[in-house]
Amino acid sequence: MALIETTGLTKHYGPVKALDQLDLMVEPGIIGLVGANGAGKSTLLKILLGLLSPTSGRATVLGMDTVRETRAIRQVVGYMPEHDCLPPDVGATDFVTHMARISGLPRTAARERTAEVLRHVGLYEERYRQIGGYSTGMKQRVKLAQALVHDPKVLLLDEPTNGLDPSGRDEMLDLIKRTGTDFGITVVVASHLLGEIEQVCGYLLAIDAGHLLQAAPISHFTQRTPVLAVEVEEGADRLAAALSSRGARARQDGNRVLVAIESDALYDSVRDLVADLALPLIRIQQERGRLEDLFRDAPTAGSLQ
Amino acid sequence: MTATNPAAAPTPAGSIYDLGYRHYEGKRNGRFYAMWSLFVESFRGVWGFGRPMTAKAAPFILAGIYALPAVIQLAFSSVIAGQISAGKSVELFTYGTYFAALYVFVFFFCVAQAPELVCRDQRYQVLPLYFTRAMGRIEYALARLGSLAAALFIVLLLPTVALFVGDVLMQPDAFKAAGEELPKALPSIPAAALIALGLGSLSLAISSFSPRRAYSAIGIVAYILLMEAIPAAIYSIGQTSATTWTDKLFLLSPVTSLIGATYWFFGQPIDPQYFQGSLAAADYLAAAIVAIGVAAAVLMFRYRRVPA
Repeated sequence: MALIETTGLTKHYGPVKALDQLDLMVEPGIIGLVGANGAGKSTLLKILLGLLSPTSGRATVLGMDTVRETRAIRQVVGYMPEHDCLPPDVGATDFVTHMARISGLPRTAARERTAEVLRHVGLYEERYRQIGGYSTGMKQRVKLAQALVHDPKVLLLDEPTNGLDPSGRDEMLDLIKRTGTDFGITVVVASHLLGEIEQVCGYLLAIDAGHLLQAAPISHFTQRTPVLAVEVEEGADRLAAALSSRGARARQDGNRVLVAIESDALYDSVRDLVADLALPLIRIQQERGRLEDLFRDAPTAGSLQ
Repeated sequence: MTATNPAAAPTPAGSIYDLGYRHYEGKRNGRFYAMWSLFVESFRGVWGFGRPMTAKAAPFILAGIYALPAVIQLAFSSVIAGQISAGKSVELFTYGTYFAALYVFVFFFCVAQAPELVCRDQRYQVLPLYFTRAMGRIEYALARLGSLAAALFIVLLLPTVALFVGDVLMQPDAFKAAGEELPKALPSIPAAALIALGLGSLSLAISSFSPRRAYSAIGIVAYILLMEAIPAAIYSIGQTSATTWTDKLFLLSPVTSLIGATYWFFGQPIDPQYFQGSLAAADYLAAAIVAIGVAAAVLMFRYRRVPA
């Protein structure tokens, strides 16, 4: 059974289509949900939580319908919103305990879980202080803690690294990774930063303007491509021209020449040409796909023509 | 960027006791438990418990001022009893007229504490956290309303208790006096419940429309004052032109209708000194009940729509 599944999911805000016929299947793991701002990431998460109802189509979480079985879903889902969501004049312990009880945990269990979860996210002595005095990094930890406190099976995180400095960002990502791998909780991380997704996620969903652009394991995007990159200090134009004249499909890209690998003979001709032209060679390597290429033209062999 | 990251290693503080993440296998209660939890939290919040000391000032001072005259009457009950036995007529607070005389402090209590309950969650955007838990939007609104009404109920009953004790102590035979006083005091309970629900639902419904406390407070004050002043103005104009329907407008005044309704509980006729027109106490009671229904409906409607 797919953990999260949507079929023909559409959401309109007036004339604006936030989601347009979105079909998804999500398996357990750490899943990155990438898209530019306004691509429909938050809308998708809110529909999965039952905060918004879809204009058409349907979505299920753990096989439960998001419109009809909202309550059952909420028992097993934790949500960390993108925006600030913490009152400043209570302590983190009080706040998270309260949220645990609203999730239905009995009083003592709520206290125990709160202590445990706050320790997991790395809040120690400061957890009794009022949240208003916390740094952004600590607030993000409290937000994660309240999403985890009722031990959900699925965690939906909307821009969890918002507003964090680089080290805070790395700590948060690490926390997310541990949550996903050590705790066995499926985590969906919505982000517009591909670098973050690459660091923590095993699977990637790319959405753009409400459509599913790509859905595949991260490794799929970073595989080797059948393109050889030859980097030279100068004379890239001459090399490209020489390769083309030999029938290879080559294109100059700055001081690099990208050439399609059609047979092993290519390596020899590149070596010979570089030697013949006496070019200052820096490196020859096979191109790897990059996540960024999702939103650009990927360097496939076809694009070189 | 995995476990090799130094930040990922357990910090020394946690390493000794760190048992790793444990899943929760225990009981998960449903929405009524969630409502009850929110009710308790809000009830504490109304009184400023779990908040800084400054948050306790307004509710306790206002509740104290409202009860103060009754407490004074209690403190001087022996003096008063002496004066009564000496044949002097003493103007005393009674159960039925106490709210009418001092309602302004209960009104201030609402103005101060109703925004406290509902504005914070909107201002700090906490609502999505509630609505993605075992709690629905309607349950949220009901729990908040319940806690404010419960707090108001206590505020309203405190002076009644003081009056009761005072009245009993004024009599020579306390046990007999308690038996005689009790039936007179008992209507205070339903009357207090009605006033608590009436003022609670109205002030909460108005507060829920703004995330800013100040605007909500101004909204409550403006609504109540205008609804007292406009019917009175129209009525006095109507008097000059001999129209008869203008006194019905008093039913729209929240405080007037609640005070009028208390007369019904105490089985007394409307005091013409305070009430103009020809309406009976039962009319005011009906108006108060309708007003509670409308205010509660507006509150629910607001929480169905409030963005989360």
